[in-house]
Amino acid sequence: MSAVAPHPLELAGLSAGYGRYDVVKDVDLHVRAGEAVALLGANGAGKTTILRAIMGMVKHRRGSIRVHGVELSRMPTHRIARGHAALVPEGRRLFLNQSIEDNLVLGALHLRRDRKRVHELLDSVYDLFPVLGEHRRRSAAALSGGQQQMVAIGRMLMSDPDVLLLDEPSLGLAPIAIDGVADALTELRARGRSFLLVEQRVDLALRACDRVYVLAGGEIAVEERADAVDVEGRALINAYLG
Amino acid sequence: MRAAGLIDSEPAVAGSAARSLPWRPSAYLAGLAGYVALTYWFAHGSLYLQGLILVAAVFGILAISLDLVAGMTGLYSLGHAGLFALGAYTTTLLYNDHHWSLWALLPVSIVEVGLVGLVLGALSLRVSGLYFAITTFVFTLVLTVVASDFAFTGGYGGLIGPIFPGFPGGLSWLGQSLIWCCMAGLLVAIAIALGLRNSPFYPVLLAIRDAEPFAAAAGARTALVKISVFGLSAAMAGAAGWIFAFQGIVSPGQFNWAVSVNILVMVILGGMNTTLGPVLGAAFVTMFPAQVNINPFWQEVLFGSLFVLVIVAFPAGAVGLVRMLLRALVGRVRPSASAPRVAVPPAADVSVERPPAAPARAAGTAAVPAVRCRDVVFAYTKGTRVLNGVDFVVEQGTIHGLIGPNGSGKSTLVDLIAGRLRPQAGTIEIDGTPLEHAGPAARARNGFMRTFQAAVLVRELPALDNVLVGLYSRVPRVALRAPVWPVLPGARRDARRMHAAALDSLSFVGARAWARNRVADVPHGVEQLTQLAAACASGPRTLVLDEPLAGLSPSEVEHAAELLSELKRSGVSVVLIEHQPRFVFALCDAVTVLDAGVVVASGPAAEVRENERVRKVYLGQ
Amino acid sequence: MLQVLLSGLAIGAVYGLVAMGFAIAFYVTRVINFAQGQLLMVAVMVTAAIARTGASPVLAIVCGILAAGAVGVLTYLVAVRPVLAFDRFSFAWLVSTLGVALILENLAAIIWGPTSRSFPTLLSGTSVHVGGATLTLQEVVTIAVAIVLAVAFEVVRKRTLFGKLGMAIAYDPEMARAIGANTTLFAIVAFAAAGVFAGVAGVLIGPITYSNPYLGDTYGIAGFVALMIGGTERPVAAMVGGLLLGVLGEGANRLINTQASDWFPFVVVVVILLLMPEGLFSIGGRLSGLLRGATRPREAAS
Repeated sequence: MSAVAPHPLELAGLSAGYGRYDVVKDVDLHVRAGEAVALLGANGAGKTTILRAIMGMVKHRRGSIRVHGVELSRMPTHRIARGHAALVPEGRRLFLNQSIEDNLVLGALHLRRDRKRVHELLDSVYDLFPVLGEHRRRSAAALSGGQQQMVAIGRMLMSDPDVLLLDEPSLGLAPIAIDGVADALTELRARGRSFLLVEQRVDLALRACDRVYVLAGGEIAVEERADAVDVEGRALINAYLG
Repeated sequence: MRAAGLIDSEPAVAGSAARSLPWRPSAYLAGLAGYVALTYWFAHGSLYLQGLILVAAVFGILAISLDLVAGMTGLYSLGHAGLFALGAYTTTLLYNDHHWSLWALLPVSIVEVGLVGLVLGALSLRVSGLYFAITTFVFTLVLTVVASDFAFTGGYGGLIGPIFPGFPGGLSWLGQSLIWCCMAGLLVAIAIALGLRNSPFYPVLLAIRDAEPFAAAAGARTALVKISVFGLSAAMAGAAGWIFAFQGIVSPGQFNWAVSVNILVMVILGGMNTTLGPVLGAAFVTMFPAQVNINPFWQEVLFGSLFVLVIVAFPAGAVGLVRMLLRALVGRVRPSASAPRVAVPPAADVSVERPPAAPARAAGTAAVPAVRCRDVVFAYTKGTRVLNGVDFVVEQGTIHGLIGPNGSGKSTLVDLIAGRLRPQAGTIEIDGTPLEHAGPAARARNGFMRTFQAAVLVRELPALDNVLVGLYSRVPRVALRAPVWPVLPGARRDARRMHAAALDSLSFVGARAWARNRVADVPHGVEQLTQLAAACASGPRTLVLDEPLAGLSPSEVEHAAELLSELKRSGVSVVLIEHQPRFVFALCDAVTVLDAGVVVASGPAAEVRENERVRKVYLGQ
Repeated sequence: MLQVLLSGLAIGAVYGLVAMGFAIAFYVTRVINFAQGQLLMVAVMVTAAIARTGASPVLAIVCGILAAGAVGVLTYLVAVRPVLAFDRFSFAWLVSTLGVALILENLAAIIWGPTSRSFPTLLSGTSVHVGGATLTLQEVVTIAVAIVLAVAFEVVRKRTLFGKLGMAIAYDPEMARAIGANTTLFAIVAFAAAGVFAGVAGVLIGPITYSNPYLGDTYGIAGFVALMIGGTERPVAAMVGGLLLGVLGEGANRLINTQASDWFPFVVVVVILLLMPEGLFSIGGRLSGLLRGATRPREAAS
């Protein structure tokens, strides 16, 4: 333990999978306070599995998952979600049978006794995404993909977690909506939030993050500061993606 | 080649315990002899024993018939009491009121109830899962109500059934004829289940249950198969009804909804999708109440507690429990998690082992493209077009890459080409045949095969059996022959050929060592290779591979690249959907780039790679 | 005609309450509790037994309803949760909940005897005249209670955070856990509520049927049919299904013959299922998609 304060996220020797074989093998990874970290890799490299393992949504996991020093690897999902970590899942997975505001308020489930706090958080989400504030009663199902992604990010922020986990927020969005997501990520970074971003788009990841990991075959292949990635570095990363 | 031999034998140990060799005539003969001896003993037993056996055997037939739909195709029918009633009432009414011959009534019951089953299946299979159960449940309810409230059925009191003719004088030493009859019926039911389970059609049925797109892509018309299996199951229930009519009185209480549920309980208690499980379950449920001589209320409480206990402790039923014990006895010889990944065979091996029929079938006319899409438009929901006027041509004998960012419409285009979706506008030709309105089955017959992005396979079956599914379109009438498979003359030869072809195909992809391992127990790379083997087994002319490299390690990717080149050499046209640009441009003759539902660039790989927009949009350069 | 309608509504309200119990448990856990009818019976038997000791009927009724809720929770813990933990998509709960039904029914027969016994009457035989029709006070109260409960349920579901959480769990249980929902606790609450609904139905019908261990069969099946008419997606639709079933049965009795209520409603159910396979108020194929596609857990590969 070289650091005085424990990192917002620290994975040590994490292995995880669904069946007999591990998808993720012995991964060490950390996110420092206020740091934006990207996790890159080809389809099937195990990126989503790492995020799901942090959230306790994978059946088999071994190794250590610490958030600010709190060990999560034996915690059930619903307790991890109470302020330790929060996830924007692949495909957004909003509660499409409910309104924007209901989706957001549900994100702050564990803070429900503190109404003032919920309202503050709600205001900060509407501040980040003004368009959501304008349509707060609208059904989540009636939104465009980009707006749905905003609701998913907002829902994650509502639980005021120690570490944010985002799984391909750019997936399936029109270019303009991807710009919106990139702006939101930049804003989160400016607000000093620590997050782990899973991405396929190298450009977006390098733009939004301080540091990148590249995952191949379930193992960490490359770790590099984003500003140190030059043309050659990109070529190397692209080589791992393909 | 000693090393290869070692790999061949190693993982094979584990799978063989689960499903032994299909044909062991001596074992079956011994079983049959025991069965006949038992029947002889029953037929001379006390009336009490005979009563028990009669009911147990009839319900054994019913449980087996239900297991065919519930266990093999995943359709939980609650209509079996109704179908059963139909058989019993038909027999009794036609005999009592119209004096039909009892022997003519057997086929009449079978055909009549089978047809009712087909109609019921066709109507209720528009919806699946729970609503199938509910619709069939209501069928039983209605039949019970009709039986109790109408005069011609004798109301609640029911009717007195016909008497089963005894053996003629010379055969009277055999004892009670009805026992022989119902035991014979049970034997036929077991034989049908056994035949189906050992036929090459069985993997297809499980694929329809667990991996419907896979079965459809292999050429199975899944809806038709489901309805037919339900019809067969109904026909068996009809036969059970015919036998049941002879036990005395036929009354509504014997066929109410609770009986439907009870039959399902028998199946689940004994073990879903097993041959003997339903029979054991039926014997237990029918005999237990008669055997335990305590206060009837306590007996029911005990009975209910057993339901809960058995299912909570052993969710896979009695046969599942036995299997678990057997597996523990046989020992854990399975390959451990650290077992070697895909055994990459030396290149020389690959060129020797080839998909069996590829060259002959691959000789398509070079003039027409393998795939041609013209101006294809598709939208999942009105308004938002996923594909907006896509033209896409794959020349014969080439590898054609299809790339584009996630959500650009690649998978949708593949589903359209493969017939899972129908375009709103535009034409799709495969080998010059316009097929935009045809389903996947028609394509499979035309030598078109595909794989899926996330491997869709039957996880509880060995890799080999999954590859057998891929051969479905190559074996004539396998579905029709399946119920009587073991007794058909050509069946053994066909089965042997199919196994050989499937093994060849597994060898070709380099996964032969895993042939007998359940797909649930193999590493991801082998799963992908199994999928590829299933698609190659039938010797397709056109092959669409949806991200075959996803999740493979670098050495596995190299191996897969070899395979694709090999396929191309044998004249197969390949459409490759891939994310990894480096790989695509190295391997493909031509590349099409899709973005936001339109073609950005299309042409020879080298040309597309230099395209300004492609570099920017897709390669991020 | 009005008489038929009102009498039908009164009996239909009881079916509807049982059906809502089915639907509430199903909404959260995707399990049909085949012991739902027996929960009604438990309430009736417990109420009758406590009343026989000379306790106040109100106390007896409250105890009866609570007992039904408690047995509902017990059913979940003993027969449903372990089965779901093994395989969320198997139908093994069908066997285990049926086992619970058998146990409850026969334990009741052992404890209180298999024959019908008295049930406390709170409301004497006053009758109420509505238009040209006559209803007993009991029937009026039954209809009112059912409507109040159905409306209250809908208000809780739509207007409270608790209800919204329920909708979230029904829509995507895994994601609901990922925002901090304790789905197990929620399932326990749902089974308790299902028991309470059945219990209320029981104490409402008790004065007419008397207490009898086999009540569960009759009302369980009626409630199940009501559920099928209404569809499983919205619990309040199950109440409407129950009311419809009651009116249809009553109408068939009066207009066709005295036994027609046995079969006429089922004919209607068949027609409804053929035309609208997912219930009268089906709002989409999401559930059938769930049951069709999800025989195996979705395994995200990346």
